[in-house]
Amino acid sequence: MKRLTAYALFLALLLSGCGASADPDTAQESIQVIAMDTAMLITTYGERSVPAAYAAEDCIRDLEAKLSRTIEDSEVSRLNAAGGEPVEIGEDLWELLDLARSYSDYTGGAFDITIAPVVSAWGFTEDSFQVPFPATVKKLLMLVDMTSVSQSPYPLTGEGPLTASLGPGQEIDLGGIAKGYAADKLVEVFKEHACPRALAQLGGNVLAYGGRPDGTPWRVGIQDPARPDDKNAFAGVLELTDAFAVTSGGYQRYFEQDGKTYHHIIDPATGYPADSGLTSVTVVADCETPEGYRTGTMCDAFSTALFVMGEEKALDLWRSWTAPAFELVLVTEDGRVVVTGGLKDRFTPDESSGYAYETVS
Amino acid sequence: MPMRPFPKLRPTAWDALVVLAVIVLAAGTAFFQWRGGSSGELTAVVSIDGAEVDRFAPADLLEGPRTYHANGYTLTVAMAMDYETPSPGILPPKGEAGICVSSSDCPTQDCVRTGILSRGGQSAVCLPGRFVLRLEGGAAEDGGVDAVLG
Repeated sequence: MKRLTAYALFLALLLSGCGASADPDTAQESIQVIAMDTAMLITTYGERSVPAAYAAEDCIRDLEAKLSRTIEDSEVSRLNAAGGEPVEIGEDLWELLDLARSYSDYTGGAFDITIAPVVSAWGFTEDSFQVPFPATVKKLLMLVDMTSVSQSPYPLTGEGPLTASLGPGQEIDLGGIAKGYAADKLVEVFKEHACPRALAQLGGNVLAYGGRPDGTPWRVGIQDPARPDDKNAFAGVLELTDAFAVTSGGYQRYFEQDGKTYHHIIDPATGYPADSGLTSVTVVADCETPEGYRTGTMCDAFSTALFVMGEEKALDLWRSWTAPAFELVLVTEDGRVVVTGGLKDRFTPDESSGYAYETVS
Repeated sequence: MPMRPFPKLRPTAWDALVVLAVIVLAAGTAFFQWRGGSSGELTAVVSIDGAEVDRFAPADLLEGPRTYHANGYTLTVAMAMDYETPSPGILPPKGEAGICVSSSDCPTQDCVRTGILSRGGQSAVCLPGRFVLRLEGGAAEDGGVDAVLG
């Protein structure tokens, strides 16, 4: 009987283990999260895929609670309501303000988080779309100025209060950068949980962490902006491993009034939807850099800014940029797809799309 | 020195109970994991506020559309067929069939504009209603994508 008991226990343990520990890389968990004004899908792999997925959700919810402009008691809301007075903020918002200032400088103001009052005038914040009066746009544009945003220096000891203040009447909106920052933070979550691979889709942002379970890169389609209603229509497919990719396009959010279409990417120089000749911009960068750059944040900020700047200025910035490296896929109104050299072996055109494909160096 | 023999122990009812419990537990765990590991049939999953509220085979919509109430908005999910450019008379189908959010009284209409979902991984989202219609499973296809940007 003792021998029988031993056999039975061995068999039982073998049975219970064969589903999970035989190949821990394929254990996976998917969760859907609606946060940061978008729908997110996060799929984690590995033995700790379940706690990793829920830690990822907690991370996103925590950031949303701090950074949302529509949550009344968020740090951003308190800063927007402070009437120019300094407000104590946490490290995440401090870092994002610092990064937003840098990307505003790099892009000559094409990326500017102080565009918030203008975006609200168009109704994109509250989903009550309207074309504002030109005089209103002109008046609100006077508030768009990143140089009026100030923040306390980061304490050398790493301790002490962090503060920030806006100019009188100013408000900020981190919608063009917060999801990228969240993607950067998810990399830390996945590392903490020893995930061998994960795929996080945060609206127009994708984090391809590791590769597919079969060892090949993740295949990420770029929606054809000319056919946004066809979910199987792509301008091309990227093959990504340990990378961020972010797409901005006017087709993603828009409204029509008096027969004209108005999209949600507002040019900080004019106060009107950007009209640069591009229909979508995709920015790609490695998520692991030796210097520890927040490349997800960079991709998010650049995708918005380069859409505003247009093809020529976008490629000028790409050529002059040193580190961390990024690559581009630009879809133009005149039917071209422009791919930068670093993606040459990672981008597959969709020949049935009708686009003319160009690779630039 | 001669070794002292082990005492002869007689199995008790507790031994049998432990063996039975472990086997039942292990079989249950294995069944759960095997079931979860299968990609399975193409399935539509509806969630509101992050909680799953419905799960059905797309073909079930042949019996009629389904209506959901999500945070003050009413959305209808129905079968759909994609057609060529509308013309007087008969509209020839392009061949793509699937499911869609056929109507919604939300202000953005993004969910309706998403169009037809026909493959696992595709979803239609209504942010005002915090409503997600998503297709899961189905056969893997060559040249398919894992995620879509945009």
